[in-house]
Amino acid sequence: MSTATNEHHADHSNDDGAVHAHVSSPLFMIGIFATLIVLTIVTVAVSYVDLGSANSFVALLVATLKAGLVSTFFMHLRWDRPFHALVFIFSFVFLAIFIGFTNDDLSTRGEIDPNNGVHVLERSGAVAPGGIQVPAAPPATPGHETHEEHH
Amino acid sequence: MSSATTTEASHGAHAEAHGHHPPFLQHHFDTPAHQFDAAKMGMWIFICTEILMFGGLFVAYGLFRGREPEIFHLAHERLDKIMGAANTIVLLFSSLTAALAVRQSQVGDRKGTTRWLIITLLCACVFLVVKYFEYTHKFHDGLLPGTHFRAHLPAYAHHGHTLPYRAHMFFALYFMMTGLHGVHVLVGMGILTWVLKRNLRGEISKEYFTPVEIGALYWHLVDLVWIYLFPLLYLVG
Repeated sequence: MSTATNEHHADHSNDDGAVHAHVSSPLFMIGIFATLIVLTIVTVAVSYVDLGSANSFVALLVATLKAGLVSTFFMHLRWDRPFHALVFIFSFVFLAIFIGFTNDDLSTRGEIDPNNGVHVLERSGAVAPGGIQVPAAPPATPGHETHEEHH
Repeated sequence: MSSATTTEASHGAHAEAHGHHPPFLQHHFDTPAHQFDAAKMGMWIFICTEILMFGGLFVAYGLFRGREPEIFHLAHERLDKIMGAANTIVLLFSSLTAALAVRQSQVGDRKGTTRWLIITLLCACVFLVVKYFEYTHKFHDGLLPGTHFRAHLPAYAHHGHTLPYRAHMFFALYFMMTGLHGVHVLVGMGILTWVLKRNLRGEISKEYFTPVEIGALYWHLVDLVWIYLFPLLYLVG
């Protein structure tokens, strides 16, 4: 039993209790690395071309491809229990919920303060709690107090 | 890769096994495979929580960028694309070397594991040195966030241009995101050093390479986060 040499069957058919993990060849890993470098060069090159709003889309698409390669092959998800891939994918599902609901909330209230980029209270126009005071530029611009009165 | 020399008398027999467990197998696990799977599942759930922690910053980034696309574009031009790209390549390479360290530990090559772990740690140092130069340059340019922001003042004009004051939000996000990532690089270095120490002590074998595998998973996570940070901060369209 213990000397059985059932090499390279990285699946459930082995029941001897030992760890049977997939072993990738170094050449294969170098291939993945080379692909990652090519994708990095692509994403930097694309950033020099003005594609309008497509720039961000391409950048995120390339990043997701790279993340996919790293998680699938370097992190062994390809040969791992599907449950681990499920956990990984669901973290992004929860992230999407986080982004979606926060965006829905924030896009339906308040205004942006021109100096601080934080919200001002919708009714009174006063700065919402937590905003930052513009540091008084020594001789240059007037203080923030007068600015607030002006609202 | 799996000649389990020491253990298990028969399928699924666990009750009698306590006396014959290999030294690395904790007594509450039936088999090495059981222990390995438990460790990996724990790590993947931890990775999920890490993604959600960074998620808060990504959400803030998305919302502010959605409201101030021009400001983000102006502000991101103060970052050094070339340094960012160089660091991306360094981290991708360190991911490869971490994966190779795991691979060598799987086949029982202790020296190879040591070599690849050291190279991974060196890459981490290079990454932090580049980051140090980037940070000091930002400090010098008055690009600190919040009340420390100075790049709106004429004295801090860059090629004759000042940034609007509200560009400080971009740098707040830049420092928080890369800072939290930098902390992860430091923690990852600590973990890999611990793995290296155990490997040098001879505690890693092809029957038990869990620490290398889990340490490398953490390191790949550090790489994954950077894969998204790089285009979002340095390549704003």
